[in-house]
Amino acid sequence: MTRRIAGVGLALAAAAALSGDLRVVAAAAVVAVLSAVVLDPPVLRSALRVAAVLTVALTAAVAGAAVALVQGPARGFVTAGGVVGRVLILWIVAGVLGRRVDADRLVEGARRLGLERLGLVLGLALNALPRLVEVSAEVWMVHRLRSPGRWQAILRAPRVAEVLLANAVRIGDDAAAAAALRGHGGLAHPRRPVLEPPAPVVVVTGAPGCGKTAAIEAAAGALRAQGRRTVGIAQPGVYSHGRKVSFLVRDLSTGDEAALAQLVDRRQGEHGTSYRFSREGFEHAARALGRAASGSVLVVDEVGPIELRGDGHMPALRRALATRGLAAVVLVVRRQLVPSLLAALVTSDVTIVDVEQDPGTAADRVLRAVEGAG
Amino acid sequence: MIDARAWTRAALIGSLWGALELSVGSVLHLSRVPLTGMVMSAIALACLLTLRRLSPVPGVCLVAGAVALVVKVFGIGGLYPGPLIGIGAEALLVELAMTALPRGAAAAMAAGALVFLWGPVQKLAMTRIVAGQDVISAGIALGGRAITAVGLDSVGVGWVVGGAVAMLAAGGGCVGWAAWQLAGRVALRVGVEQ
Repeated sequence: MTRRIAGVGLALAAAAALSGDLRVVAAAAVVAVLSAVVLDPPVLRSALRVAAVLTVALTAAVAGAAVALVQGPARGFVTAGGVVGRVLILWIVAGVLGRRVDADRLVEGARRLGLERLGLVLGLALNALPRLVEVSAEVWMVHRLRSPGRWQAILRAPRVAEVLLANAVRIGDDAAAAAALRGHGGLAHPRRPVLEPPAPVVVVTGAPGCGKTAAIEAAAGALRAQGRRTVGIAQPGVYSHGRKVSFLVRDLSTGDEAALAQLVDRRQGEHGTSYRFSREGFEHAARALGRAASGSVLVVDEVGPIELRGDGHMPALRRALATRGLAAVVLVVRRQLVPSLLAALVTSDVTIVDVEQDPGTAADRVLRAVEGAG
Repeated sequence: MIDARAWTRAALIGSLWGALELSVGSVLHLSRVPLTGMVMSAIALACLLTLRRLSPVPGVCLVAGAVALVVKVFGIGGLYPGPLIGIGAEALLVELAMTALPRGAAAAMAAGALVFLWGPVQKLAMTRIVAGQDVISAGIALGGRAITAVGLDSVGVGWVVGGAVAMLAAGGGCVGWAAWQLAGRVALRVGVEQ
């Protein structure tokens, strides 16, 4: 009961701090001090630390001097007294509130207010903070190593900001992908679906270079060996000195290849990428996807950001998906784009194969998923 | 089905913003570096405009602001109202500018101008709350005397104040434009240019 009265007293003191009357402010300061004694004595001790007292004294002196210069010393003293009282009240209110706020209370509070998503976001943000700090420390260390002088460090600051923000976005996208893979829909944002597959879908995912293309080509080979018609495309990368420099597009029915994309300077890239794309490559892919027929397994490696914006292979993929009687659809997508792909599909019959879980068995898992779908 | 990226990006970028407020903001403030407020406003603009460019979902800046507020609350030294009000106001102003205007560099420049103009407004309001109306009146009188002392009284107080506000808005607009370009580079880097 005493604590409740003290809480109400503190709230009233905070409101009274806005008064222009020095006597009201002084009375409110006394109430705030008494409330702090009941609610949280360490806050009062923190308000009486030397640094805090000096800060308040300096602020009051500056404000009092300014008013004294214009309106005379008496008014200056009143102003200085008011500043001391108001800062003391605000300090106590902020201290008492600050010591009662913790992550669990905030998340719980957001949930109680019906802000489930905000609660989840706060939870994610606080959980991700250590990883973010770790990444930021690495970025900062690299920045210091590459910038020997102070001016160089300042000039390179925008690049550091770019890397830090990109890392934060990637960690956020990873979290969204992980939620999608586990079927968590708490943070779901409804989007307009763009694909209506007439058959069960197998989504093959994993980080770039983890072996998605190799897995689906092996699975496609095994399906053909079983006598099942398998059509579609694979997009193997071409490497030079350990760096991916271009992409081919391979017709899975015939094995014919065409150049699809070439690495160029970022400013010359197309579709917001660092690659320049070949029209012949897209036409080759469209012919391959056009072989879809009833009973066939349609494979598309890969559905990237360009396709999810409706460009690239998407028009040919839509036409292929209009084929009646497809046995199954296998879509390859990098991990970060899983949420976008799932948001674009009008079907709940989706099996996700994460190649990174065990790259050695990925082809078998894709094969089993297709057989299960069929 | 589901796409949670707008929310997860808001969580992470808000978290990054809050962490920078905690670390860089505290260091600059304690070191008495001049123009700390503007540096922190520029950081806020970079975070919020990047988020808005990558995820053009209404309300996303407010979510990031809420996250940054929470991270800042856990800062060393406790809860100070000034920076918290600043974070909330910056998130709200960027959200307003990016929602009201067509998405692009012009909206980002307007957001930058609003955020930069908010600094003096908040200082004035906090001074009024903590020190009272007398200090505001004294400040205006002393400002008038200073204008007379440097020989600008012939120009007129209104023009001097208006010029200062215009310069601040122009500076904010430039920072907003730069932050929008930075957001574009981040969008290219992560391959999700919208």
